[in-house]
Amino acid sequence: MTPILELRNVTKYFGSGRERVTAVDSISLDIEPGEIVCLVGESGCGKSTTGRMVVGLLPPSEGQILYQGQDIASMEKADYQQYRRAVQIIHQDPYASLNPTQTVRQMITTPLLRHQTQGTGQNGASAGRRGRRRDAGRRAAELLEIVDLTPVSDFLDKYPHQLSGGQRQRVSVARALTVEPKFIVADEAVSMVDVSIRVSLLNMLYRLKDEFDVTFLFITHDLALAKYFAWEGRITVMYLGRIVEEGPTPRLITDSRHPYTQALLGAVPEADPELAKKKVHIELRSAEIPSLLNLPTGCTFHPRCPYFVPGECDLAVPGLEQISDGGSVACPVRMAEPSQIV
Amino acid sequence: MSQITDLSWHQEIEENDSLPPLSLQNVHVNYRTRKGSVQAVRGVTLDLQAGESLALIGESGSGKTTLGLGIVRLLVETAEVSPGEIIYRRDGRELDVLSLAEGPLREFRWRDCAMVFQSALNAFNPVLKVWDQVWDTAKAHRWNNREEVRERFLDLLRFVQLDPDRVINAYAHELSGGMRQRTLLAIALLLDPQILILDEPTTALDILTQRTIIDLLRRLKEDLHFTMLFISHDLAIAAELADRVATMYAGQVVELGPVEDIFYRPRHPYSLGLIRAVPTVTGGFEELSSIPGSPPDLINLPTGCKFHPRCPFASERCSSEEPGLERVGDNHYAACWHTDAVQEDIERSGLRGKRSTQRERATGL
Repeated sequence: MTPILELRNVTKYFGSGRERVTAVDSISLDIEPGEIVCLVGESGCGKSTTGRMVVGLLPPSEGQILYQGQDIASMEKADYQQYRRAVQIIHQDPYASLNPTQTVRQMITTPLLRHQTQGTGQNGASAGRRGRRRDAGRRAAELLEIVDLTPVSDFLDKYPHQLSGGQRQRVSVARALTVEPKFIVADEAVSMVDVSIRVSLLNMLYRLKDEFDVTFLFITHDLALAKYFAWEGRITVMYLGRIVEEGPTPRLITDSRHPYTQALLGAVPEADPELAKKKVHIELRSAEIPSLLNLPTGCTFHPRCPYFVPGECDLAVPGLEQISDGGSVACPVRMAEPSQIV
Repeated sequence: MSQITDLSWHQEIEENDSLPPLSLQNVHVNYRTRKGSVQAVRGVTLDLQAGESLALIGESGSGKTTLGLGIVRLLVETAEVSPGEIIYRRDGRELDVLSLAEGPLREFRWRDCAMVFQSALNAFNPVLKVWDQVWDTAKAHRWNNREEVRERFLDLLRFVQLDPDRVINAYAHELSGGMRQRTLLAIALLLDPQILILDEPTTALDILTQRTIIDLLRRLKEDLHFTMLFISHDLAIAAELADRVATMYAGQVVELGPVEDIFYRPRHPYSLGLIRAVPTVTGGFEELSSIPGSPPDLINLPTGCKFHPRCPFASERCSSEEPGLERVGDNHYAACWHTDAVQEDIERSGLRGKRSTQRERATGL
């Protein structure tokens, strides 16, 4: 199967000269159709930059991004437009990503009319402008139902300020669905929503995967959410612009190999007092995150890593190597050692 | 990394059978707005025992931050605390916090009860160096011995595992988020307060930074026996640090009990709902569900139990009669007419169910 999306040695710099920051450093990733891939890491690891490159909001500095086997940088115009429609993003902040002066109806019908992709009403009447509007309105109502904003009539004429954070995020999803995407990048899409309703948003997104064959790149700093959403998918862990470990979610959670992944898993506070007590915390050699302007040599985690081997880790950048239990790890020192976090 | 710095000057409160250092009696807080009165806190009665750490948990709008600010009387002018009583006790004296005049109030804040705010950057004056701010604080509390203050603060910086030379002459913007939060904690401890109120102490910090703060707070709790009140929407903070947990909903404490009881034997449907909505990382694969609906409008509250429109256990009675906190176990209280049904539900379906994977569903396993 051709991956729906492929990153090949993608690098992104910002700035130039001495001010140059490497936000993403030569990462490669294949995502199969219908897969859920989670990108996790702390702030500054390059996960959002990667997401923005995937949807075409930022061009990579080096490397290629392929959509259905085609490099997006050298696509014909028609193909490029099709790619831009097929790959959509849901942003983190539903207070900033919705136009405050438009009603829900306007926000959803505008892209429908622009792209003429109304799912229903493909009869002769749709030729006229009025007919197209009516079709768009009908489709908008269907979309709101899909994202569980029901009864639909309560929501169509509301402005964003009249909605809660969770409801706004559902509108963002409905808006992304107008163009019938095949691939959705969800960038911290539920981080700003109250804990009691996060799960229903995640379950709704999960349903889109089943019902519309949407492939997900789910970007989050929250390992618990990543585990929940991508249990049947994969998790990719980034640190300072590089992928340090990736693999099927259950393996990565229960038997992580990279010291950074283990440090994260050990450090995450658990919403369960017994688990919180039981968990092993990895002591790091330094609490400071190196500056992106002045990255350590070799493995960028070496100044903090408790398993640091002088003369090895600080010289060569370790590549990702496959492990037999699934996935790959960029740490020759620890890749064969089972995890002892839980 | 974690060599223990001793805070020799720290006065531990004796945990004898004396009265609790902080008692809230039927505290109400209303915000006056053009649309009407927002009932942010409605009748909270709570004792904070010496040396304990109590976590107030709940969603946004549950009243937890308002309550915290109310204790140190830092609410905005449109807020009114009435009726209600906040009693503070130290060394045999007793203060009625709500009736303190400006002078004694300033003494009470920081020296007796310090608060660490949610947004560490906003808590600093951006044009003052850290030391100048510390010195200002000390002087405002009539502590004018510069050398002494400096020594105490250096002690504290070492305690929070910061390099004193780097921090003391820095501006807030020169520090990373985690360093800022630790510096703030050091400043809060400057006057050796008896009570520490922490509003979302680790929110917005990265995971590894969060862990250093949690470990630090645990040392304050376990080694130095500080009396602490945590305010957090994050259940994990409560699970990691609290001795007791108070769940707040629509301005009220709806459940109160030892941390194990709240997490493993909750009796209020809202506590149970929160637990079932939050995934763990290493706890296997859980069946989770959200609480339906959204938090109530605090101007037009529902009748009866404020949670009944969202509650799966709600009955006729819940929409008309509001339950009060009733004892359901040792030191464990819940405000619900259906605590037995909640218990049965947990016995029947478990606390968090194990979700079957897609493959298992497909093959009927």
